[in-house]
Amino acid sequence: MSGGHIDFNKTKSFLIDTTKCTGCRGCQVACKQWNQLKAEKTVFFSGEGYQNPPAMSEYTFTRIKFRDYQKHGQNEFAFYKEMCMHCNEPACASVCPVGAFKKTAEGPVVYDEKRCIGCRFCMVACPFGIPKYEWSKAFPLVRKCTGCYSRVKEGLQPACATACPTAITYGNRADMLQEAERRIKSRPDRYFQAIYGKEEAGGTSVLYLTHQPLDELGFKQVTKRPLPSYTWQALRLVPGIFLGVGGTLSAITWFQHRKERIRREEEFKNSRVKPEQKEEDQ
Amino acid sequence: MTAAKLVINEIKGYHRFIQLMIALTGVGALAALARFIFGLGVTTNLNDTYPWGLWISFDVVTSVPLAAGAFTIGVVAHVFHIKKLEPLVRPAIITGFLGYSLVCIGLLLDLGQPQRGINVLLYWNVHSPMFEVSMCIMAYTTVLTLEFLHPVAERFGWHLPLRLLRTLEIPFAILAAMISTLHQSTLGTFFLIAVDKLHNLWYNPLLPLQFWLSSIFTGLSIVIFEASLVHKYMGQPDESDLLATLTKIIPWVMGVYIAVKAYALAFLSHGPLFDRPVLLALFLVEMVIGVFVPFCMYLTNRIRTDKKLQLRAASFVLFGLVLNRFNVSMFGMEQAGQQIYVPSVIESLVTMGIISAHILFFVLIAKYFPIFEHHPEATDYTIPDHFRKLEKGSEGLKAAHEA
Ligand code: SF4
Ligand code: SF4
Ligand code: SF4
Repeated sequence: MSGGHIDFNKTKSFLIDTTKCTGCRGCQVACKQWNQLKAEKTVFFSGEGYQNPPAMSEYTFTRIKFRDYQKHGQNEFAFYKEMCMHCNEPACASVCPVGAFKKTAEGPVVYDEKRCIGCRFCMVACPFGIPKYEWSKAFPLVRKCTGCYSRVKEGLQPACATACPTAITYGNRADMLQEAERRIKSRPDRYFQAIYGKEEAGGTSVLYLTHQPLDELGFKQVTKRPLPSYTWQALRLVPGIFLGVGGTLSAITWFQHRKERIRREEEFKNSRVKPEQKEEDQ
Repeated sequence: MTAAKLVINEIKGYHRFIQLMIALTGVGALAALARFIFGLGVTTNLNDTYPWGLWISFDVVTSVPLAAGAFTIGVVAHVFHIKKLEPLVRPAIITGFLGYSLVCIGLLLDLGQPQRGINVLLYWNVHSPMFEVSMCIMAYTTVLTLEFLHPVAERFGWHLPLRLLRTLEIPFAILAAMISTLHQSTLGTFFLIAVDKLHNLWYNPLLPLQFWLSSIFTGLSIVIFEASLVHKYMGQPDESDLLATLTKIIPWVMGVYIAVKAYALAFLSHGPLFDRPVLLALFLVEMVIGVFVPFCMYLTNRIRTDKKLQLRAASFVLFGLVLNRFNVSMFGMEQAGQQIYVPSVIESLVTMGIISAHILFFVLIAKYFPIFEHHPEATDYTIPDHFRKLEKGSEGLKAAHEA
């Protein structure tokens, strides 16, 4: 679980300006290299437009999504780098029975594969559909973008951010938010007036700026409330309910059995007395 | 004759149906083996879009409430002390014991790293519904195993454990209800995290309460279902008089369930309800055939005496529950336009094997252990303990009264 003591202004965050993305996919390649991920055999146009591979997988932690659209009668592309959002309060971490996911103070949400029992609840819980499973293996683990924690810990930038020539800025979350606000304000015609990730799922360490409305680009519409709070509102009642049920049932048991005991005593008394009286009568 | 021959001869004597169950269980076991050798990806139709499939939806999310008979009847008979229901308790406990053991097996099959299952005990995450359910299922399976030892001890005449178990009967019934309340409801909490995934027809913050309530009336209905079938096919005594008591309790719980569901739908959903025709149809089938129809049946006077109606109402409830759990854990989670998940052959065979194993073991246990013979005429329920005779206590009390 994420500790309550993390200062989300200081966590390292990505600011991804999709209006500056050229679709070179340098980040995709850099990610594969740094994480030593296998290549995937794919065919073109199996996904939408030119995007390839068609979906993220155990071998692909990040991917450029392509969106075709028309502007002034011309065909245009919009790009969007898909990756783990490194949520401030990650759903994946809260549902994991063994706490294999953890939000680090540096920002990345990391996964401890030695703990994972493979229940795949994290995959069901993540609102962005990020964790992927090693379906190819007999004893599979979960794979997802690591936020390049091993690099960030040592003061380096993530591999994809380093490789990106134009669109990715990396730094403290507060600074990234400020920078994003500044860009939106100074170029209102260039930007759609929203920062995706500022409030989504309670705030994330990946922030996006776009030109198109978010849903047109394929951004998922996600609740603004941190996801763990949805389950916690029920789970926090657990100890009380446990003891409450126990106490109530014990009280009922005692009461019901007492009724029975008293009834039996009455019966016993009556049955003892009656025969004696009868004898006297005779 | 060797032991193996004895066993084979014994099996040859079984009914055809039981032999079929043995075969299906065997096939299921082989399919499970295949899953371990070849891995989840090859043997199942699960993928990154459907990380959970038939095994979670049926073997866990549906099987757990189906095994709720043990705790509900335990509370009714022991806590509310409706003693005449005692004969129903033991078969329910056997069903619960088998059900939960098979849930454990189903859960282990579904885990990608089953050998690490023990990690749940090592690394606690109290924020995880899955953690809570795993803990509860482990604890409750232990309780059920101990309760199951009861007929075993009787069968072999172990007096000491029998004394202990009889003394613990009521505490166990209460403990069972405490643990069951938690995990039956927490199975609903599972899906509270799927806030933008589960359709609004089912998603609302009261889902855990609904799961708990439906497990209660289903638990009692399954007791009716089972007792009726056992009477019909296994030549056991007709319990419809006792079942009549249950048919009076069930509509109350169902009524509360309907009220909670209506309230949640009307005031607590946070999005469109009628945008997906298929889901709406599923929802209506679940509510009308699975809840309203049996609710009305339970309300009639005829059901108190009519065996057939009892069985029919119970069957409708079971159908409704199964559909409800599938709606929540599978159908309602499918997004519009997403490819549809259909379980693979191996997944289906394993689940069929689990169901057959349940029936098979139930019949076998009933054959070799005193399960249905637990009647007031035949059995003395008091604790076989000569130091705590009831008369003594009441004599003392009587003396006090007279004084
Ligand atoms: S995007 Fe998904 S996987 Fe990444 S931190 Fe958030 S919940 Fe976890
Ligand atoms: S699959 Fe692994 S990481 Fe994901 S929730 Fe289950 S135990 Fe945790
Ligand atoms: S942060 Fe690292 S792991 Fe994540 S997408 Fe970028 S390169 Fe890949």
